[in-house]
Amino acid sequence: MAFSLAKRLVRSLAVFIVVTFAVFSLMYGNGTGIAHAVLGLNATPEGIQAEVVKLGLDQPLLVQYWQWLSGVAHGDLGNSFYTSESVSSALSNRVPVTLALVFLTLLLTAVLSVILGVTAAVRGGWMDRVLQFISVLGTAVPAFIIAIALVFAFAIHWRVFPATGYVSPNVSPSGWLASISLPVLALLIGAVAGAAAQFRTAVLDQLGRDYVRTLRARGIPEREIIFRNVLRNAAPPGLTALSLTVFGLLGGAVFIEQVFALPGMGQMANMAAQISDVPLVMGTVLVVVVIVLVVNFAGDLAITFLNPKARTR
Amino acid sequence: MRRIPKAFAVPVTGLVLVLAGCTSQTAAGSSPAASSSGGEKQQLTLAQTVDFYGWDPSNQPGFQGWAAEAVWDQLCKTDANGKAQPDLADKFEVTNGNKTFKAHIREGQKFSDGTPVDSAAVKADFDYASKNGGGQADYKGIKIETPDANNISITWPEAQGPVIDNKACNPKIMPASYLAAKKFDKPVGSGPYVLDTAASTTGSVYTFTKNENHWNAKNYPYKKLVIKVITSDTAAVSALKTGQIDAVLVAQPSVAQVEASPNTKVVKFQGQTTRLLLTDHLGKSIPAIGNLKVRQAINMVFDKAAMAKSLYQGNAEPTGQVFRKGTDAYIDGLQDPYPFDVAKAKSLMAEAGYSNGFTLNLPTMTGQNFETLMPYVTQQLAQLNIKVKQVPLTGANAIGDLLSGKYPVVLWQLGNLGNSALQIYIESTPAGWWDLMHQPDQYVDSRWKQITTADPQTAAKLQKEINQYQVDQAWFAPMVYMGTNYAYNSSKVSIPTESDQEALTPKLRDFK
Repeated sequence: MAFSLAKRLVRSLAVFIVVTFAVFSLMYGNGTGIAHAVLGLNATPEGIQAEVVKLGLDQPLLVQYWQWLSGVAHGDLGNSFYTSESVSSALSNRVPVTLALVFLTLLLTAVLSVILGVTAAVRGGWMDRVLQFISVLGTAVPAFIIAIALVFAFAIHWRVFPATGYVSPNVSPSGWLASISLPVLALLIGAVAGAAAQFRTAVLDQLGRDYVRTLRARGIPEREIIFRNVLRNAAPPGLTALSLTVFGLLGGAVFIEQVFALPGMGQMANMAAQISDVPLVMGTVLVVVVIVLVVNFAGDLAITFLNPKARTR
Repeated sequence: MRRIPKAFAVPVTGLVLVLAGCTSQTAAGSSPAASSSGGEKQQLTLAQTVDFYGWDPSNQPGFQGWAAEAVWDQLCKTDANGKAQPDLADKFEVTNGNKTFKAHIREGQKFSDGTPVDSAAVKADFDYASKNGGGQADYKGIKIETPDANNISITWPEAQGPVIDNKACNPKIMPASYLAAKKFDKPVGSGPYVLDTAASTTGSVYTFTKNENHWNAKNYPYKKLVIKVITSDTAAVSALKTGQIDAVLVAQPSVAQVEASPNTKVVKFQGQTTRLLLTDHLGKSIPAIGNLKVRQAINMVFDKAAMAKSLYQGNAEPTGQVFRKGTDAYIDGLQDPYPFDVAKAKSLMAEAGYSNGFTLNLPTMTGQNFETLMPYVTQQLAQLNIKVKQVPLTGANAIGDLLSGKYPVVLWQLGNLGNSALQIYIESTPAGWWDLMHQPDQYVDSRWKQITTADPQTAAKLQKEINQYQVDQAWFAPMVYMGTNYAYNSSKVSIPTESDQEALTPKLRDFK
C-alpha cells in the first residue's frame, strides 16, 4: 500500500513538472513585449530594457523555470509582473471563489445525476426518454449561453438573484448563496446532463447482470437490490464521469466567472494569460494541476473502497 | 404511482431549501440609493472594463483611471482642452520661454498617512517619474528647484510649448519615503478618497472612503466610492440594469438595449477618429505608400457617410481631419479634399504606376472594432488592387509590435485629444509613439519647434498649418469621428461636465 502510494506520488510529481514546464516554455521569450506592455505605449527602448532586467526576463528558460520551481518549493510563487501583488495573495482571494463554484456544482451534480440516472434506468419509459433528450440538450448548449439566459430571466426580469458579483460566506452566508446560485445553475445543467446519462448507462448495465436476476429470484426487495448492490457496482463508471466533470467545470468556470463577474481563479487566469503575466499564469496552473491530481487520487480511492476487485490491482 | 424513494427525498428537499433560501436576496450588493445630506450622497459604484496595474504612481492609466484620481492629487489637473487647472497647486505659471512650470502648493495639505504635502514630496514624485514608468521620456533632463516648502519650479531642457501643462499635471503626488522604498502595496496620497483595503480585492473591487479634509471635498459628493472590475460587456450591462453599478462603458451593440431600459442614459463621447495611419511618407518600407497619389487614392475609396450610418449605427460623423472640432488644430469649414470617388482613386493609382496594386499587411487586435471595420476596409482597398493581409496581434507583444514600425500602415480608432498640440506631438513628430516610422519632415518638424516657444495664438495658427499640410499630404485617411458610450443610472447619478481631454469617459470629478 505504501509502495503504491509512493508510486502515485512520483507519477504525480512527474505530471506536475511536465505540465508546468510546458506552460512556462510557451510563455518564454516574450520579455520585451511584456516589459513594453507593463510600461505602456510611450515607453522608451531604454526603459523597456531596464524593465526586462528588473523582471528577470533576460535569463535563459531553464534558469527562469528553476527559479520559479525553487520558489514554489519554498512557498513563494512570485509576484505579478504588472501589479507586484504576491501570487499567493492573489490566489488566496480567488481560489476559494472558484472552488466554491466548482465543488458546490459537483455536489449537486452527484446528487441529481444519481437520482435522475437511477430513476431513468429503473423506471424507463417516458422518464428515460426525457432524460436522454435533456442530456443531449444540456451537452449541446454551452454553459455561458445558459448563464446569459438565466441572468436575463432571474436577475433582470424577475429580480430574484443578483446579476453579477460575489459575496463571501464570511460576510453573509445568505448573500453568498444568492450570489453563487445562478453561476452554479449555469454549470449544473450541462454537468448533470452528462453525468446522469453515465449513471443511467451504468445502472442499466448492472440491472441486466445475472446477479440481479438471482437476487430478484431470491425475493430480495427491488429497493434493496438497487441501493445495496446495483449502485455499488455502477459507481466506478459514474465516479469516473464525475471526476471528469470536475475538469470540465474548471474550464467552464472561466466563462461563467466572466458572465457573472465573479472574482475567481478563471477570471484571473484569463486576464493574466492575455497580458503574459507569467507568475500569475503559473500560479493558476499550479493550483489546477494540484486539483486535477487530488481529484484523480480521490476518485481512485473511492472506487477502490466501493469495488474490492479494484484493491487487488 | 411510485413514491419518490426516501433516500432521494432528503437531498431533493435540501436542494429546494437551498434555492428557496436565495429568493430573499434580490440584487445582492446593489448600489445603495443616493440620499442627500447637505448635498452629500452615500455611494457611487462604477465599473471599469479593465483592471489597472497596481499602485505604482508612475504606471497609472489615464483611461478609466478613477482609482488613481481618487487617491492621488496632482500638481494640477488638465481640463477637457488640456489646460492646467488648480489641484495641489493653487497658483502656477509657465515661464522661461515655455521651459519652466512654476507652482505654489496649497498650504496645510496632508497625505493620508498624516505627513505634509510639500515641495520636497512633489520634487520626489517628478524625479521618480523621470526614472520609472512609461512616461520617463517626458521628464528627461528636468531640473527642479524648491525655494521653500510651498513653491516649486520644474524646468525642462527644451521649450515644451502647449504640452507643458500635460507634463506638469501628470505625476501623482505621494510621500517621498514610499517612492524611495518602492512600497506600493497600498496607495498613500492626498486625494479626495482613501482606499479601504479591507473592503478591496485586487482585480475585483476597490472601495474608497471620502477624505473629508480634501481641499476640494465639496466637489466630490459621494461618501463612498466603489469601483468594480467587470470585463464582460454582458455582465456590465446586467449589473447596470439591476442597479448593482451606477455607471460603466458599454460596447456599441449594447447601447440600444441600455437606452431602452428605464433610468439609464448613455453619454456618447467622440474622442476618437477612425483612420488609416499612412506613416511611411518616405516609402522606405512600402514604396507605394511613399507616393502621394497612392495615399490620396486610399483616402478616396471610403464612403464615410455610409460607414457612419452602417458600421456605427449613426453614432459617428464623417470627417476629413483627424483633429477634434473646437481644438486649436481643427480647421473650421475645411472641405474634405478626398470625397468618395473610386474611379478617381483608380486613376490616381494608375498615374502613380500602381494600377496593379500591392500587398498590405494590416495588424488587428481585439477591442478595436476590427470585426466590423476590417471587412469594409479590405473590400474597399481591394478596389484599388491593394490586397490586405490581416496580421492578428495578441498577448503582451501586441502593443510592442504595433508601435515597432513593422507595420507602417495601421487601421486604428485613434484618440483625438482636447489638446491638439499634444496630438501633433504624439502622431506627427519623430519622437511621437504613433509616428510609427519616426520619419522626419522638414515642414512639420520646423513648425513643431516654433510651437514649443510660441504664444498661444501663434501656436494655434501653426497647428492649423500642420493639419492642412497633413491633409494635403494625406498622412492619414481619416474616416469618422466616433467614440465610447458611457452608460449610467440617471436616477442616481448626473454627469454635468466632461473633463477628460481624451473624451473617452467622465473623470471622477464629473460625477455628481
